[in-house]
Amino acid sequence: MTTRRNPGLRPLTQADRQGNTAGSGAEDLAETRIATVLGLKQFTQRPVRTLLIKGLAGTGKTIVALEILKAAGKGKGAYISSRVPKELLEAHIPAMKETLDNQDFLDIRLEDATSVLDFVMQLTEPKKVRTIVFDSWDGLAKELDQRERLRAEKTLMALANNSGAQLIFVSEEPGATTIDYLVDGILELLRVEEQDRAVREFIIHKLRGTKIPQHKYLFTLLEGKFTFFGPYAIPDYSKIGKFAQRPDIDESYSFGSGALDRLFGGMIPGSTLAIEYDENVPYSALRTIELPPIINFLSMGRSAILLPLPGANDEGTNSILTKALDETAVADRLRILNVVRTSDLETTNLPKSATPKEIHEIVTRETTRLREKSKDRSVLLVKSVSALENLFASDLDSLLEVTSQEIITLAQSHDAHILFLPKDSPIRSRILSMSSSYARLFVRDGTVLMFGVKPHTGVYALQHLGDPTSPSLTQLV
Amino acid sequence: MNAMSGTSETEDFPTTFTNAVHGGLDKVLGQSGAAAVLSHMKMTRNLPDPAEFHKKLLALFGEKATLSLERAIVKDLVRRLEWALELLSIEGPFDFSATMLKIQKRAKA
Repeated sequence: MTTRRNPGLRPLTQADRQGNTAGSGAEDLAETRIATVLGLKQFTQRPVRTLLIKGLAGTGKTIVALEILKAAGKGKGAYISSRVPKELLEAHIPAMKETLDNQDFLDIRLEDATSVLDFVMQLTEPKKVRTIVFDSWDGLAKELDQRERLRAEKTLMALANNSGAQLIFVSEEPGATTIDYLVDGILELLRVEEQDRAVREFIIHKLRGTKIPQHKYLFTLLEGKFTFFGPYAIPDYSKIGKFAQRPDIDESYSFGSGALDRLFGGMIPGSTLAIEYDENVPYSALRTIELPPIINFLSMGRSAILLPLPGANDEGTNSILTKALDETAVADRLRILNVVRTSDLETTNLPKSATPKEIHEIVTRETTRLREKSKDRSVLLVKSVSALENLFASDLDSLLEVTSQEIITLAQSHDAHILFLPKDSPIRSRILSMSSSYARLFVRDGTVLMFGVKPHTGVYALQHLGDPTSPSLTQLV
Repeated sequence: MNAMSGTSETEDFPTTFTNAVHGGLDKVLGQSGAAAVLSHMKMTRNLPDPAEFHKKLLALFGEKATLSLERAIVKDLVRRLEWALELLSIEGPFDFSATMLKIQKRAKA
């Protein structure tokens, strides 16, 4: 590690660079490190040598710049700071201490442009430094007049171009400046409000020679590290393994998912959880919340009833369940009642024009039947309100009436109740007011997000990073 | 040293050349860039022979940028000597060292 304060005093020597030969494992990414950090590696056709990272204070610019610096490899980067000394930066971002220790650090708070450019020449001439971060560039550039600033910037571009080093300019200037036109890429970091919660977003304004499939992405700075979220991807259900049972959490039932348990703290017997979702939330994202509690209930020797979401494929659901559990548990203690499918109505001896009350009676009857098979007489009811709304569009009052009745009845039992509710449901507010907990799912920049309204939680990105039946939730901070 | 000062009856060729180097670099790199280059090359006072200067520029900036910088220096020098630029063919790639030698000889004549 080298920390420099007086760049003009002596030139850099080989001895200054500890770990100069250390491999980073990133050698093969020499031209695509920026794109890799931003998750765009596969789209990069040309080198991105110079990048401007813009954004207001507190948006995460320094962390993103440090992630790119980290990718340069040990001893192959330099951080030029016009704002804070190294010790303070390490105290602000402890997760990046190692990265800062592994690279040259130049404190230029009291230096002039000539000294800084000389220092950059010392770094770039041996062609060993891969990445140089200027944090912030404005801190120095504001001291120069417009023409002088442009020329200094051109000098830096020429040095970068010849040495192959990447230059990362961090800026808090909101408008376009001279450097906007010179750099290969411009990244803007924003902190925006979504559902009364702050989320972080980056916008790719420019990335020369690179096809940009999506120009906005969400990211988090959880644990002081930059993690971006690509568009939601459907899980690979062929990778389903046997389900690992999750025991009750004190007096509550587990959701069958560590992520959901951490978010809501489990399901209290007698409670109703309403999951409200926007129309653009993919079905597989909803299913990842719908299935784990059912699988865990069955795995624990309990019973469950599922009134699936519209568009659900019962065979697909059964196939997932039988991969995760033994077939007898699914056959004996689970009832999938697809109210919009004629064959199910036939098996329950109901006419096609069944009323909400008649459906309610079937659910009650099935609950009673399955209660006898449950090891502790508790039953989980997972129900799509949307499917029922579609069926009883002309009689929503009756639907509301029986749903309310169901919630009240369940509250006095040891059963648990999960309702899936579309955002535009006409009976939404009434159901939400009766629910003991309430979570919401929506999509922004292609990422599925989830947060708790009752209880209040932060925003989480929903992905499938491990088990395809279970969600991975990463908090956006 | 004033980079913008022109040639005079009393100014010798090395001084004019030095001023032209400063002037040419200033025009492309700006004052801070030019000062940084010369400081980096340890040439703030004494300018080396053109061949060595060319080599150092090449190491820092590569071929294309070096060509632009050297062309700016030659233009500045020719302006200071009040010569016609057409006398030197520097529009395409050119040999900086040979051009300087040519100018020096002509200036002495």
